[in-house]
Amino acid sequence: MAAAQAAAGSGAHGRFTGAGLRRVAGKLGGLALTLFLASLLVFFSRFLVPGDPVSFLLRGRKPSAEAVAQVTAQYGLDLPPWQQYLDWVVGALHGDFGRSLQFRQDVATVIGDRLPVTLMLVVMAGIGIAVVGVGAGIVAALNRGKALDRVTLIGLTVLSAIPSFVGSIVLISVFAVQLGWFPTFGSGDGFGDMVYHLVLPSIALAIVFVVLVGKVTRSSMVEQLGREHVEVATSRGLKRGTVIRRHVFRNALGPILTVSGVLVAGLIVASTIVEAAFGLSGIGSLLVQSVDRLDFPVVQAIVMFVVTAFVVVNAVVDVLEPVIDPRSAAGAGAR
Amino acid sequence: MSLLDIRNLTIDLADGRRLLHGISLGVAEGETVGLVGESGSGKSLTARAVLGLTPTGSRLDGSVMLDGHEVLGAAAREVRALRRHSAAMIFQDPRAGINPMRTLGDHLTETLRLCDGLPAADAEARALDLLAAVRLPRPADHLTQYPHEFSGGMLQRVMIAGALTSAPKLLVCDEPTTALDVTTQAEIMRVLVEQREGRGMGMLLITHDLALAASVCDRLVVMRAGRVEEEGSAMRVLVAPEADYTRRLVAATPTLAAGPAASAEPPEAPTASAPAGSGPGSSDAPSAAPAPALSVTGLSKTYRPRGRPPVIAVADASFELERGGALAVVGESGSGKSTLARMIVGLEPSDGGTLSIGGRDRAAGPRGRAERLERARSVQMVFQDPYLSLDPRVTAGRSIEEALRLHTRMPRAAARNRAVELLERVGLTAEHAAARPRTLSGGQRQRVAIARALAIEPEVLVMDEATSALDVSVQAQVLDLVAGLRRERGLTLLFISHDLAVVRRVCEQTLVMRRGEVVERGATAELLDAPRHPYTRLLLDSVPRPAAPADSVVAPR
Repeated sequence: MAAAQAAAGSGAHGRFTGAGLRRVAGKLGGLALTLFLASLLVFFSRFLVPGDPVSFLLRGRKPSAEAVAQVTAQYGLDLPPWQQYLDWVVGALHGDFGRSLQFRQDVATVIGDRLPVTLMLVVMAGIGIAVVGVGAGIVAALNRGKALDRVTLIGLTVLSAIPSFVGSIVLISVFAVQLGWFPTFGSGDGFGDMVYHLVLPSIALAIVFVVLVGKVTRSSMVEQLGREHVEVATSRGLKRGTVIRRHVFRNALGPILTVSGVLVAGLIVASTIVEAAFGLSGIGSLLVQSVDRLDFPVVQAIVMFVVTAFVVVNAVVDVLEPVIDPRSAAGAGAR
Repeated sequence: MSLLDIRNLTIDLADGRRLLHGISLGVAEGETVGLVGESGSGKSLTARAVLGLTPTGSRLDGSVMLDGHEVLGAAAREVRALRRHSAAMIFQDPRAGINPMRTLGDHLTETLRLCDGLPAADAEARALDLLAAVRLPRPADHLTQYPHEFSGGMLQRVMIAGALTSAPKLLVCDEPTTALDVTTQAEIMRVLVEQREGRGMGMLLITHDLALAASVCDRLVVMRAGRVEEEGSAMRVLVAPEADYTRRLVAATPTLAAGPAASAEPPEAPTASAPAGSGPGSSDAPSAAPAPALSVTGLSKTYRPRGRPPVIAVADASFELERGGALAVVGESGSGKSTLARMIVGLEPSDGGTLSIGGRDRAAGPRGRAERLERARSVQMVFQDPYLSLDPRVTAGRSIEEALRLHTRMPRAAARNRAVELLERVGLTAEHAAARPRTLSGGQRQRVAIARALAIEPEVLVMDEATSALDVSVQAQVLDLVAGLRRERGLTLLFISHDLAVVRRVCEQTLVMRRGEVVERGATAELLDAPRHPYTRLLLDSVPRPAAPADSVVAPR
């Protein structure tokens, strides 16, 4: 142990020196590999799904052999799968995901039009989840075992049991229809108006996830509260609030951040339902629509986007970890 | 005027259990008082009450006057003021006690900046002075370092420096060296005594170690089960204990001195009554004996952690242990003694060298179930912490039965009877067979672990720090048990320990390890009386000895 300590002590002085950079480089490599595997899965899953894009493109018409051949050639469907994949990947790296079958537009344009709404929705929901979830978790942890703790936990659990579509409908009927505070529909024009339009949808989206962050915050805080260094800080005459802020919450951040990273993918996926309920034209509703119409290029692009967002967010969380906990930079041996 | 005056302190938990039954004790200015007791005696609780740190929901009664202010029932603001200016506390485990996610500089300057409103530069200057005062090598660098970059001993110095930032009048030390090696303990105690004298502080030293307390304290207060058993000058309590409990405690405390009490203890007995194994006297290693129970030559193990320099855990260890003999392996943390034990038991493959148990080659780690079983039959291990080494869901009897049924084809009923026999052998009763570990005390659990290890009659029993987690009185019982088993059955024992005094009680042969190397080996009594290697001498000098400093206690202060 002592020898290991000494070794760690000499090497881990600077967190952002050699070892730190190597760590980040390793993370980036892992990230690239993950995205590559995901792209394989996403692209080739098309060949497993029943349904033929050509017949969709020629829908309603009795296809002549030439027409089929022409459409097949136009969309590059006659090439061997690996070549199709290569073309797709090279295009994707340049921001070109091909043409949407249903809109007859570039996929990038189709998605680009709808991305801001979804991003805004996810960001607003994320902020709401962080504020309410972390806040509730802190309140519960500081009142552990008391009525307030139980009320908070039960409240969060009940909220999380409400499916998004039900929550959406309730929110619309109460705050939009009866009280008339918020619009029922659409995403508005301009930044301020968009925020205003997205208040209810983001609440509907956040409700389900608040409990997760709340519970993680609570248990992480509770664990830290029992640590001896917290008692030491108290014994030195620091105020309760200072101890909580500097020693309990600060140290409890790790797990909260990790869970938040995992949440991102869930939020994007869950946004489909909320977007549908509020008539928003975002990525989520586009995904549903595209799956329905076998619009493979759009589906592939959206799934890749979700995977990328998820992987990147989690890589960022990983890279941030040593900033929060200096021990993780020195490796597990230092714990 | 007395700095601390505790009168009739009682603490009741929220569920009505009474933990302290009217404690009274005092510390005068500049005085050092030792609060001695075993686990559960309430000594830590008493110490924490001084700083107003009490279990949530507990009710306190009596009076705790600190520096002229009543602590019990004081408003939060007053308690904070006392914590900031009158008393400071040093905790047992510095690794747990300093926030691992903040720099040491932050730990040291935190209270100065946030409580006293000192500018950051002034606070840092004060921190640097204190780090130098506790003799840390590079104060300026340490400010930006994190706790995980430090050893336990260095961290405890940081903790001391942190406690001194407030220039307290009373320093409360709760087992400040229990988590540390014996040489480190000696250094830390030196720093503590130095600072106490330099600053004229009062000190309340909480410890389970009677010898340690007696070596630095003016007065001792002995506690048991929430009551004060005895109080008096350190020398008097140690030499002429009045309370029954203190007398037992003194007797149970292992000492290095080969006094009449110690020499009458087991060390001689097993040698005399172990004719089964080796014929000639076992103190000078016999070579004519049949096959030694355990023979190790050139055994080594190197760990190669990724991205870090390799760690040589055990380098070229060689020794023999004849049947019925007892060999102690002594060393501090990082000496490789546990790795050695793990290689012998087969939990860890060796890199090189030979290892034979009962004449059979066991150098390669066991592969497959059959080899693992065979290895387990030849050597068994008792681990340090019986709270962790027993499955909490399995009763004591079952855990022994399982060992029996795993290794022999004994029918269930026979195994059950045998388990009870074994439990009785280690001083437990048939009733304990049905008990789950949770309901057993630490000493009882370790007895179960020993019974389980002995169930299949291994050729060698390895005890890895098997008594260091136990209270001294319980440790004494377990050591007596081991001595008895050796006498009766000619048990061959490899006893891993950091405690030289314990070793004297158990083993006739001793091996001293340091950083993976065997630095000295010989008959225990000779090795302890006339150490040849400087490291062995350092180890011996580090053991707290009440006698020498007690002179300075008797001398006017």
